[in-house]
Amino acid sequence: MPQAPMPELTSSVKLKYVKLGYQYLVNHFLSFLLIPIMAIGAVELLRMGPEEILNVWNSLEFDLVQVLCTSFFVIFISTVYFMSKPRTIYLVDYSCYKPPVTCRVPFATFMEHSRLILKDKPKSVEFQMRILERSGLGEETSLPPAIHYIPPTPTMDAARSEAQLVIFTAMDDLFKKTGLKPKDVDILIVNCSLFSPTPSLSAMVINKYKLRSNIKSVNLSGMGCSAGLISVDLARDLLQVHPNSNAIIVSTEIITPNYYQGNERAMLLPNCLFRMGAAAILMSNRRSDRWRAKYKLSHLVRTHRGSDDKSFYCVYEQEDKEGHVGINLSKDLMAIAGEALKANITTIGPLVLPASEQLLFLLSLIGRKIFNPKLKPYIPDFKLAFEHFCIHAGGRAVIDELQKNLQLSGEHVEASRMTLHRFGNTSSSSLWYELSYIESKGRMRRGDRVWQIAFGSGFKCNSAVWKCNRTIKTPKDGPWSDCIDRYPVFIPEVVKL
Amino acid sequence: MGRSQEQGEGQGPIHSIRLSTVGAARPTETGTTHEPTGLDLAMKLHYLKAAYIYSPETARDLTVRHMKESMFMLFDQIAWTTGRFSRRDSGRPYIKCNDCGTRFVEGQCNLTVEEWLSQPDRSVDEFLVYHQPIGPELAISPLIYVQLTRFKCGGLGLGLSWANIIGDSFSLFYAFNFWTKAITGETIHAPIPSKGDRGFQSPNPTVKDPVSVKRIDPVGDLWVTPNNKKMATYCFNLSVADQISPHFPANGDNSIPVFEIIAGIIWKCVAKVRAEPEPVTVTIIKKDPNDLKPNNAIRNSQVISSVQVDFPVAEATVEELVRSIGEAKDERFGIEEIGGSCDGNLDFVVYGAKLTFVDLSGEDLYGARVMGKSPHSVYFNVEGVGEEGLVVVYAAAKSEERVVTVTLPEEEMEMVKLEFKKCGMIAP
Repeated sequence: MPQAPMPELTSSVKLKYVKLGYQYLVNHFLSFLLIPIMAIGAVELLRMGPEEILNVWNSLEFDLVQVLCTSFFVIFISTVYFMSKPRTIYLVDYSCYKPPVTCRVPFATFMEHSRLILKDKPKSVEFQMRILERSGLGEETSLPPAIHYIPPTPTMDAARSEAQLVIFTAMDDLFKKTGLKPKDVDILIVNCSLFSPTPSLSAMVINKYKLRSNIKSVNLSGMGCSAGLISVDLARDLLQVHPNSNAIIVSTEIITPNYYQGNERAMLLPNCLFRMGAAAILMSNRRSDRWRAKYKLSHLVRTHRGSDDKSFYCVYEQEDKEGHVGINLSKDLMAIAGEALKANITTIGPLVLPASEQLLFLLSLIGRKIFNPKLKPYIPDFKLAFEHFCIHAGGRAVIDELQKNLQLSGEHVEASRMTLHRFGNTSSSSLWYELSYIESKGRMRRGDRVWQIAFGSGFKCNSAVWKCNRTIKTPKDGPWSDCIDRYPVFIPEVVKL
Repeated sequence: MGRSQEQGEGQGPIHSIRLSTVGAARPTETGTTHEPTGLDLAMKLHYLKAAYIYSPETARDLTVRHMKESMFMLFDQIAWTTGRFSRRDSGRPYIKCNDCGTRFVEGQCNLTVEEWLSQPDRSVDEFLVYHQPIGPELAISPLIYVQLTRFKCGGLGLGLSWANIIGDSFSLFYAFNFWTKAITGETIHAPIPSKGDRGFQSPNPTVKDPVSVKRIDPVGDLWVTPNNKKMATYCFNLSVADQISPHFPANGDNSIPVFEIIAGIIWKCVAKVRAEPEPVTVTIIKKDPNDLKPNNAIRNSQVISSVQVDFPVAEATVEELVRSIGEAKDERFGIEEIGGSCDGNLDFVVYGAKLTFVDLSGEDLYGARVMGKSPHSVYFNVEGVGEEGLVVVYAAAKSEERVVTVTLPEEEMEMVKLEFKKCGMIAP
């Protein structure tokens, strides 16, 4: 029956062209206006002829003083403009920590340890198994050495060793990649939410690499999985104030001291998802880095929903009945994440969306407010604003929810899903693993725009928009170098354990 | 002073036990399985234990992390041994290759290596090998346990407890040597072939009812040899020239079958103690000289043969016994058949079904060099021995000596030791 599908096909093709035509018209509206005006002007000039043009010119009676004043005025305005323009912030390069194979935790090992440690609580073991089956994690995620013991041995020493291992390895790699000398680091920001020793992790970095005594160092703790983008925001603000400087950001989460040792179900969930990881990022505002930088920071929007009680309590660290400390995740986490995202999009939309989408959104808003409140709200098509998406790999549910809300295809969320599969939820550094995935696949071209979205306790939703500065060659090293050929993998809904 | 066989948490002189897991570096494809052969299944209630002691000069700088990393390199080659047993619907056990891992045990000892080695009965080395049987839950029972004991002086004890169902003692030594090469940092050229042909050539394909294997009542999922008697172990050194040669008439060519002579002497001693009934049948376990390629794969290929005599053993001469041992019949074919019958649901005892003698004297145990240095001492025994007893003969640190580990019912041990003293095997 070839007749029936044809009308549908032709109508959907027609719709596509209508949409494309509309987008071109609205987004290049000014060009469309300018072309006829320039055409008319050109025709007029040609019509007038050279003598008439000279006559018109002489009649203007330009005077030296007038000419000088006008040019000074123009120079003054342009100087003020260039001085007050915010500095361009570049992301020169970044490096993600790749855990050694000896830290690998296959599903079977995790479940066996769980059975041996929680031998009196079969229901809790059963719960962990169900979570793991549906988690979207793979067999190669890693936990720090102290957690491989039965039962885990989370001493402060072990936590410090983990911190040293992940942070120093990532930083050594970053220094090697960028050729930066430790003495040239001007700003250092370290973010690690749940491990905050004295002296701080940033002091530990300064001690190890013998950084300068007038370095501007900041240690952010307690800010959750979105702390990575908060650090980027802080670095941007500092780089606006300090000319000709660079900043190193270290994003990590130290698992060792935070492995929940009790058996409350809601608090066992993070044990199943959080894994070892770290990233070190070099940002700069120097003109000389313009050529070698990978990305330019276009926008950074932070949204905090802490004023709402439900949002505030949805990710809450507390003691259970037996005194074990763990993180309690509430059941309406997804709904709250959706709300936070909506708030964030409302701010970032006007900054990034093309005029065509903004117009449509405005029209649908007017329509809903004035004419018919039952009209479906128009969800702007963010695929027109960005080529790549990095959604924080907080869990399978987060990625599914965002894919649905933003109407993204499988390929758009591939970086997030594959990062969750290969590395697990590495908290604030997961966005960088995802970016590395996209680069390793050879998909990052000059001019591409990337949207990084992170969620965190509080409840916060932070977005960063980067523009690719130069086409990036597939990296030879990096966390994905030995396994990128195996990806993307098909991740079943439920893994049979 | 023998040591009683008991399942071990760290006990006695070893303290500060910490358990963790090591596995393979690369993930195994989901759904991979390993099917045990009939011979494998017949060995399922037995566990092989080996303990190697290294001096402080060799081992002082070896960290736990380094040892674990080299274990990962080993298990990369034999990832299937890090899986867990499961049963098919028919009840037949198989290994689910899910990369679950093996148990790595760390312990401390307050004695120095010298003090430890000063004890004449080497069965104290049983404390250096952490052991748990497979079961009662198959899914969470590792097949291999590795114990790392740090002595006060910095020396190291490496103990390996290995379920016999995955491979025989020769496989265990091969795997251990591989590990020591990885620890030393030598580049390993030839990976361990583990998926090779696991068959064997048996010159006796018609043996139907092997006597070296005893069928026992089903043990379910807890793979432990049920014994009514408590077993004890005694381990001692023998000098070939002083204690063994005198028992055998000198040959012109100076080569005497050392293992057979030791076996003969001990057989006689046990027969004298165990008067009614005399052990007229014994089992001899040796390495297969015709081991099929690929050589040294991890599997059960040891020759299990049976010797039956029709004369009273206690009065026989050592020569007669040695001759009879030389005529032992290879029973592997029969064991393979019976082990795999009834879909692997039957349970058997091999070591100790009859008085068993294991010949490991050809194995270069002291070739397991770490950082170029051989171990100070090597100990070997089997866990889960049946009531008839087991004798293992293997190389000592000095080439003119042998080590003998004897496992017998506790009630017989003192009398057998008396017999040993009478024939000069141990000092009075």
